[in-house]
Amino acid sequence: MRAMLLLLAVSIQAAHAHDMAGMANEAPLGFDAAMDNTGHLWVVDTVGEHVRVRRSDDMGRDFALSTIVNPTGEPIYAEGENRPKIALGPKGELYVTWSQPRKAPWTGFVRFSRSLDGGAHFDAPKTVHTDTAEITHRFDSLAVDGKGNVIVAWIDKRDLEAATRAHKPYLGAATYYSWSTDSGTTFAPERKITDQSCECCRIALARAPDGSIDAFFRAIYGDNIRDHAYATLPIGGKVNVQRATFTQWHIEGCPHHGPSLAIDAAGTRHAVWFSAADGKPQITYGQLQPGKEPAHQAIVAGNGASHADLAVDGRHVWIAWHQMTANGLELMLRESNDGGTTFGEPRAIANTSGASGWPKLVLHDHRAFVAWNPGGQFRMVPTEALQ
Amino acid sequence: MIAWLRRRGASAALCALAVFSMAAPVRAAAPTPLAAADVGALVAAPAKGSKVLALWSLDCAYCEENLAALRTYQRQHADVQLVYVATDPMAQRDALAQRLKDAKLDDVPARAYTDATPDRLNFMIDPTWGGETPRTLVIRADGSREAYSGALTPERVAKLLEQR
Repeated sequence: MRAMLLLLAVSIQAAHAHDMAGMANEAPLGFDAAMDNTGHLWVVDTVGEHVRVRRSDDMGRDFALSTIVNPTGEPIYAEGENRPKIALGPKGELYVTWSQPRKAPWTGFVRFSRSLDGGAHFDAPKTVHTDTAEITHRFDSLAVDGKGNVIVAWIDKRDLEAATRAHKPYLGAATYYSWSTDSGTTFAPERKITDQSCECCRIALARAPDGSIDAFFRAIYGDNIRDHAYATLPIGGKVNVQRATFTQWHIEGCPHHGPSLAIDAAGTRHAVWFSAADGKPQITYGQLQPGKEPAHQAIVAGNGASHADLAVDGRHVWIAWHQMTANGLELMLRESNDGGTTFGEPRAIANTSGASGWPKLVLHDHRAFVAWNPGGQFRMVPTEALQ
Repeated sequence: MIAWLRRRGASAALCALAVFSMAAPVRAAAPTPLAAADVGALVAAPAKGSKVLALWSLDCAYCEENLAALRTYQRQHADVQLVYVATDPMAQRDALAQRLKDAKLDDVPARAYTDATPDRLNFMIDPTWGGETPRTLVIRADGSREAYSGALTPERVAKLLEQR
């Protein structure tokens, strides 16, 4: 009996130790960051079942404000392509979205909350879409247009479900969006952007010079060719979707690897995207010309490179990405000073032996910083090369 | 991947292990942990035939059909070793085991990541892999490799395993 008790104690201790070791990499690292027009940095991430918004007045070294968005906890997708998002309104409004897992695999609801008092309080979260089926409404993206309207786009499987019930073929999932013209008090009934798009890649949103929000996302062409589509998301009216990349990557699977988009003042659509056509994984830069091949295409990085983001300020274009090596993770950067016609050599600007949420480029006063949180420790990595 | 699932998985696993020590109930075979130090043995060339690593994740809607197609082929070819490798963390082992059990795929050796950096394991297993799933990696006795991203049909499995 004593031996059995000892054995039991050892098993529980071993199990506990194992779980503790496992839990060391438990905290989901998904985050988003944005600068407001007074130089404050806003960061959103998660603490367990809570979305947390923090404000830093010194570029991420310290946080002067930390507010839980949803005091009543709920499940949250908080990692990888499915991270919480933050966007700022013209009058200091704070908007936050995230995807909430439901019980069944691959299901979720897109959730929204806002603060109209500078982050001191957030409204009770609400679901953005009217469809309440227990299916995929996930991979939310969030943007504010030039008039202050809030736009939310996401991946949605209602059309796949309908096709399956009707025994009709349907590849992937649809992409939907909604908008709010009253600072998030209400959202318009959702509209479809396109059918048969990718079911697991983030949607890139960016503001065009006319103030409208454009979307760039992975779509499916023919027999599981997973390239990218481009669409301006109107506040009402018809959505015009055009193919924007032509890598011809065939995959009946989940790339888990969405693109990034930034539009300069002249309307040039700078973008980066991932593909592994012909078995060669690579991140490509190009200037999108929806309907035809992107201009100025350049291979940014190859094996081990992932989750690139980009930003543009005048003729200056920055691309940041994760480069995995046998020794750890490097945060890489390439820069162009001629509007994306040519790029300098890649260089590592930070590294970690652990993991980080995907890099996010943030502009401030014509400088670029990469928001990064290796091991959950948030920081803003300057992009300037040492002289 | 999913905060609540991880937490739920971790606490459920603790309970399950404690109960197992006392009552040993029947439960689906859980994946065993795969750490960086284990990758060398995992990707080592087999003494004969082929080793097939079927990389999958809970969030991949195409993965179960791929696992099933590979299992069917393996059952008909004794010189093929098959290992399911989930890129999800071990904290989700109960969810992983249940998913395999529900799909009647729980009789194949299964591993799950246990490393602070899943992308690092991806890179160590196959540096030409961008993390997309499903991913099938074939390693032959002579050390040569073939890889395929996306769901395999039975025909594609045969083509992948038999092409030289």
